[in-house]
Amino acid sequence: MAAPRMMLVADFERCTGCRTCELACALWHEREFNPKRSRIAVLRDPERGVNVPVFCVQCEDAPCVASCPTGALQKDRDSGLVTLNYDLCIGCKTCVSVCPFGGIVVDPVSNKVIKCDLCGGDPQCVRFCPEEILHYVPVTVANLMRRKKSLERIPKLLELALPRVV
Amino acid sequence: MEGIGGYAGRYLEVDLTTGKHRVRDTPRAWMRDYVGGTGFAARYLWDHLTPGIDPLGPENVIFFGTGPVTGTLGHATGRLVVASKAPLTGIWGESHVGGQLAPEIKYAGYDFIAITGRAERPVYLWIDDDHVEIRDASHMWGKTTRETFKLIWEDVGDDSVQSAVIGPAGERLVRFANVMVDFYDAAGRTGMGAVMGSKNLKAVAVRGSRGIKVANFEEFYEVIQRIYAKATTGEWREIANDTIRGYGTPYLIDVMYSIGRLPTKNHWTGVFPEAEKINGEALKAVRISHKSCFSCFLQCKYVHHVDSGRFACTLTGGPEYEALVSLGTNVMISDLGAIIHANNLCNEYGMDVITAGKIISWLMEVYERGLVTEEDIGGLRPKWGDVDLVIDLLHKMARREGIGDLLAEGALRAARKIGKGTERYVIHVKGLEASAQDGRSHKSIGLAHAVNVRGADHLRGLCTYDELPWAVKYAYERFGEEEAKRMVIDDRLDPTGKGYLTWLTENFYSIVDSMITCKYGAMWPMIYYYDDFAPWLKALTGIEELGSERRLALAGERIYMLRRAFNAREGVGKEADTLNPRFTEEPMPEGPGKGQVVELEVMLREYYEYRGLDWETGWPKRSKLEQLGLTDVAEELASLGRLGE
Repeated sequence: MAAPRMMLVADFERCTGCRTCELACALWHEREFNPKRSRIAVLRDPERGVNVPVFCVQCEDAPCVASCPTGALQKDRDSGLVTLNYDLCIGCKTCVSVCPFGGIVVDPVSNKVIKCDLCGGDPQCVRFCPEEILHYVPVTVANLMRRKKSLERIPKLLELALPRVV
Repeated sequence: MEGIGGYAGRYLEVDLTTGKHRVRDTPRAWMRDYVGGTGFAARYLWDHLTPGIDPLGPENVIFFGTGPVTGTLGHATGRLVVASKAPLTGIWGESHVGGQLAPEIKYAGYDFIAITGRAERPVYLWIDDDHVEIRDASHMWGKTTRETFKLIWEDVGDDSVQSAVIGPAGERLVRFANVMVDFYDAAGRTGMGAVMGSKNLKAVAVRGSRGIKVANFEEFYEVIQRIYAKATTGEWREIANDTIRGYGTPYLIDVMYSIGRLPTKNHWTGVFPEAEKINGEALKAVRISHKSCFSCFLQCKYVHHVDSGRFACTLTGGPEYEALVSLGTNVMISDLGAIIHANNLCNEYGMDVITAGKIISWLMEVYERGLVTEEDIGGLRPKWGDVDLVIDLLHKMARREGIGDLLAEGALRAARKIGKGTERYVIHVKGLEASAQDGRSHKSIGLAHAVNVRGADHLRGLCTYDELPWAVKYAYERFGEEEAKRMVIDDRLDPTGKGYLTWLTENFYSIVDSMITCKYGAMWPMIYYYDDFAPWLKALTGIEELGSERRLALAGERIYMLRRAFNAREGVGKEADTLNPRFTEEPMPEGPGKGQVVELEVMLREYYEYRGLDWETGWPKRSKLEQLGLTDVAEELASLGRLGE
């Protein structure tokens, strides 16, 4: 059996909204600094300090793939990626409308759509996240991480002083 | 700008009187000689302002500047400089702020925006890439900063738009009105908000979609990974976690308490017995979220919400260390809810927390000393720790109501109007009320306050190597043993070598303020120095000169000296490089600095020598100006009779 799929996962409760991920993403893909050309975007509420990183989550049954009129968007069963073939893409932006997360972006320079390709297995947003809230991990680990996160919601138990044995 | 990275390569000039604007190319020579940010501001304001103008007149310019690293991947690349001739002091004015506006200015295609003139009615400036529009702001006039941010979003139909706004205090020309960015980040000092108010300019709102180029991707990518790793892994990360990242600037309350440098009771002492009620740990109880400025590797911003008691439902970013002092220890208040509430009032009205608080502590002291009576100060009976009085006065100053109208002029002007010996107790330099340091317990900061080009404040020259015993080793590592010993870095109470140290520090911070990155990372923790910045700037911009540590240091000296020359041109020289007798004559009454005073003259002499200033007058010397390539500046000063030698 193949190794488990890798996935990009965000510990979004801890995102501070610095948007370093957006810069790293745009630099890698477009060789320039421009958050508006980033595949990942942080939705910020600066008044309350609430921030949510938004990116393509590579759906298994992806609405963008199902609605793409030219077949430019495909689900690659081996890598798990939702891939975008620019030779077929006509720039209709249907995928932008149907994505439930806002994970597909219109590039203001080319006016074509852009989306996360996981940087070929070395996501730059993960590499440069100063708060280390973005992780690229096997799906099994992602599950575990979220389970541990739910444990944090019972802090009183965790903060109990443990008996000293020696 | 073929081949050049980092910079937008253009800047925007707006004249609010005529309603016209134009876009010009950023001179290549400026990039090499002045780097950006503060450096560009100094050159631009020197070139465009006539000495003697009214800071609140239409001829003044307000400058919103970015630097080469602004908006690029790197540490703290969201910093903005706001500069102008200052309404509070009548000299060089600048204030820096984080948040996320500065990158947006760059993405819109501008290295800086310079605004002059005065609009006939309230307006705001809307910049959407090449689209520049002066828009009606009559529906925003009178609104708080928080309301204004939201009204702009409604107006332009995009709640990701970044803006710099003023509150009611700026509109009413309160001389210490600030400029707010991203809800809670303040370009606080020297009254930049009053300059905006005087121009009927409520806000500058920007959206940009242009990219910034990188000169050499491979080289940059390698350098920036190093820059990133330095702040986010290993020893520096651990230090940051225990201090600036873990608690934000409030961690400083404990640190300053430990060295007896926590200004208390109008800077009378450096010890506040109830410090632990308002320290970083105490603030955790009301913390609701962790926030960050744009592309920051240290992340020191926290949002607080008071959920019970008299000040319940107060939501604000901060208080920072400075507010905890100016609205806390220095007025003897240890009620955290009250401080957060007072801090929020300053944010919403758009007033500098430092000056606002220091005016109140001055009033408390002169009343306690019997220099003034109730009749002199609008029927008030100020006493230490009076929460109601502080809150009442903040409202009155912001609205210029009653005694607040006089206090809105700043402590020095108010004291001169009242007379009766009250000026003696205004803790200021050059008209700027002192920030939360005390040179008696840390000699180099005494000098740094006295010579700072914008007045009594730490951000142009505070040295942190000599501040804490355990930080000393980093000076040995960075400068070598000989240099460290020459600066007597091991002893913060010894004035020897501190003139040289302050000169060195000011030059370096001039580069920090011009790139622009944050003092956090350069000042504390002292992660980065020229040997990090030079390769970073070189790879990003492709400009050879910016890749030379020696040339960068020289540019820092040039940028500092030009601002000094700006003040000289306004007629401000040696007489203003001074400290309140509180620091030079009254020994520190208690704590680790007990019995100490600031030996200013010995440090000043050494400093003047390195800075190239005339000992009698304080004017910049021709030889030094010429060495720095500022011959035109020397000629202009000579024509005014304000050139040294």
